[in-house]
Amino acid sequence: MSRRYLYLLSALVIMAVIASCAPVPTAPAPEAPAAAPASAEQPAAEGAPVTLTWGFWGSPEEKASHERVAEEYMKTHPNVKFEYFFAPWDEYFTTLKTRWAGDPASIPDVLFLWPTPSYAATGVLENLQPYIEKSGYDLSDYWPYLLDSARYEGSVYGLPRDIEAHALYYNKKLFDEAGLAYPTDDWTWDDLVAAAEKLTKRDGDRVTQYALGMEGGKWALWVGQAGGIMLDDLTNPSKCTLDTPEAMKGLQFFYDLMDKGYAMRSATLGQQGGDAAVFETGQVAMIIQNSSRVPVFNANSNLDYDVAAVPVMAGGKRYDFNGGAAWVISARSDNKEAAWEFLSWLQSKGGGESMYTRNGEIFPALRSVANSDDFLASPKPANRKAFLLAAEAAQPGGFAYFPEWDELSGSIIGPQLDRLWAGEATPAEVVPELCKAVNQFLVNNGYPK
Amino acid sequence: MEHEGPKGVKDTKHETREVRGREGISTGPSRLRASRASAPSALRDPEPRNPAYERRLRWYRWQRRYEGYFFLAPNITGFLLFTAFPVIASLALSMFRWDLLTPPVYVGAAQFRELLFTDPQFARVALNTFYFTFGTVPLRVILSLALALALNQGLRGTTAYRVVYFMPVVTSLVAAALVFQWIFNGNFGILNTFLRNLGDLFGLRISPPDWLNSTRWSMPAVMILNLWKNVGFTMVIYLAGLQAVPQELYEAAEVDGGGAWAKFRHITLPMVSPTTFFVVIMSLIWAFQVFEEAYIMTKGGPAFATTTLVYYIYLNAFRWSRMGKAAALAWLLFAVIFIFTFFQVRMQRRWVHYEAERE
Repeated sequence: MSRRYLYLLSALVIMAVIASCAPVPTAPAPEAPAAAPASAEQPAAEGAPVTLTWGFWGSPEEKASHERVAEEYMKTHPNVKFEYFFAPWDEYFTTLKTRWAGDPASIPDVLFLWPTPSYAATGVLENLQPYIEKSGYDLSDYWPYLLDSARYEGSVYGLPRDIEAHALYYNKKLFDEAGLAYPTDDWTWDDLVAAAEKLTKRDGDRVTQYALGMEGGKWALWVGQAGGIMLDDLTNPSKCTLDTPEAMKGLQFFYDLMDKGYAMRSATLGQQGGDAAVFETGQVAMIIQNSSRVPVFNANSNLDYDVAAVPVMAGGKRYDFNGGAAWVISARSDNKEAAWEFLSWLQSKGGGESMYTRNGEIFPALRSVANSDDFLASPKPANRKAFLLAAEAAQPGGFAYFPEWDELSGSIIGPQLDRLWAGEATPAEVVPELCKAVNQFLVNNGYPK
Repeated sequence: MEHEGPKGVKDTKHETREVRGREGISTGPSRLRASRASAPSALRDPEPRNPAYERRLRWYRWQRRYEGYFFLAPNITGFLLFTAFPVIASLALSMFRWDLLTPPVYVGAAQFRELLFTDPQFARVALNTFYFTFGTVPLRVILSLALALALNQGLRGTTAYRVVYFMPVVTSLVAAALVFQWIFNGNFGILNTFLRNLGDLFGLRISPPDWLNSTRWSMPAVMILNLWKNVGFTMVIYLAGLQAVPQELYEAAEVDGGGAWAKFRHITLPMVSPTTFFVVIMSLIWAFQVFEEAYIMTKGGPAFATTTLVYYIYLNAFRWSRMGKAAALAWLLFAVIFIFTFFQVRMQRRWVHYEAERE
């Protein structure tokens, strides 16, 4: 008789196992808003309790910062509660995409995303244009070309949080040692090279101190300054334009900086812990980077540094490539009105933008915030205005905005240009081949559409 | 009609009951019935057309037939859900273009064609994988056999050396790869410092490569890390294989005047050939699947020089959202591994000696 119970027991165990597996694909994940279905029935009117899910990537510190921002918002909006969806950068997009594929309802209401147009093209994002028009939200406060990185078919789908404004950071001590005057905002490429010659220290054929540390991926800065761009159209490209004389000039300049030993090779930079690490340890005298390094360097009391505008080509015009992840609203959100209300506060002076800026986490997407004490009050670095110069001149050009861009960049453009930054081929050798491959890729994927 | 197990002559009880069973009905599991005192009494003394008896008999047969599946079920369920289904799904997926966000689009074999004919990096990636595989596997086999032989001499401190060589195996690969980044650093790395000093010693001015920045030297760097990490494991397998070689064979060889080389060539090598077979097959499979070393130390670069097939699968699936293409790649990789393993198994008769067969 006991055998029957054994069967019963094993059957129960199996059912329990199956039961515990089965709901996973259909039930909302733990982070999903429990209150969402309930609040869907009534619009998020003033005072109606709403739970917003808010998604972002970043370090644990950045998560804490977002949570402080949410708490600030809840002070004026006691009816709103937040739940967070958080993952490190590496996993964030994969996790989101898996959810979109498996359970779109579990996508956070408001989330941090990049690049906006690629996602907008697939229909998973809410078009913000109607909300903007209805609420009179001021888009003119954004830096000139910034919203181009968040538009799709003429409509704004995301509000960029920050702008990729670069500056030249320099180590004052190393400049003093070399007996050089500090960089100024009107430095040209020639000034940079002249200073680099003096700042580069060698032991035989080995470089022991580099003048410059700059990620190879930032090549578009030089290309843009020289008047070039990578594709004829960033949303619907028909051909590669890196082979124009202007673009070649920019690539050649960067190639020479590394080839002459002035700039640390890109891969070495990564292996040494990135530009912040080599700058702090004095392995390089200057880096070109966005404002994200400021809090790191300010925390280092041994480091005496300042910033200047990125040197421009003599006779060229100031250029920076913009971009920056944007806040978006999920098309599947049940709380779109409440999400928009939060979003418009988040992206406002006195709201989230000001808080992030004061924390030193971002260079703000809004001009009014950048020109206010939120950004300018901090005493270090003294020449903070250098970032404003870059933001004013920033245009698209560092990234393209079509769905296959990541693949094109990762499988062709990046690896081919890597050969330049590794010093194994010259631009004249690499670029024709590169453009041929890019054009083939565009044809294979049906561009121009 | 079912019969359970061999009918032992000893099992006389069973025989009697079989005879007592009515109308040739087999009365079920003999051994079980014989051994279990708790078997239903009806079975022991069956009445003709007793409904209770028939019911129990049916239940008994049913459970005899299906109980195995019950015991297998937990494992089978897991296998079906998490292995068989994904494998079949990936084959289907390889014929769809899918970015996770928009509905999959059926493209037939287009993604296989893309990989084989137009993909800008596939040829490079495949070559990298073969380069890695045929660069590391022979070295791995030879090195681990040599180490195992050295550590099998019964010298003092052998245990300490075994620990030393096995240590990399239990070290976190992530930690090891990060340390190796520093070792391989062109300017400040300890390897190049060592090479320069070595050069100085002989009055040569050598300039060692900038390992991880060079498309030529980054793959050897990845191979070195891989060997360092894994030789200890295959060494342990060889040590076990060597322990199994009968000492009499060596003694016999000594009597016949065989030297060290002859003993190695004619006794050790044939006797450990089953181990070698295992090691070669597994090393090949592992090498074809290499990923972490390149992922952490070089990010597949520079210029795709260390991007292997599995790394390329990762890039396509999780960086570029080409799920279908990644699935197609995975199947191509499967085909390659399958072909190599198939020929290995086919050829083993030529060179693998099993002791049992020789008797």
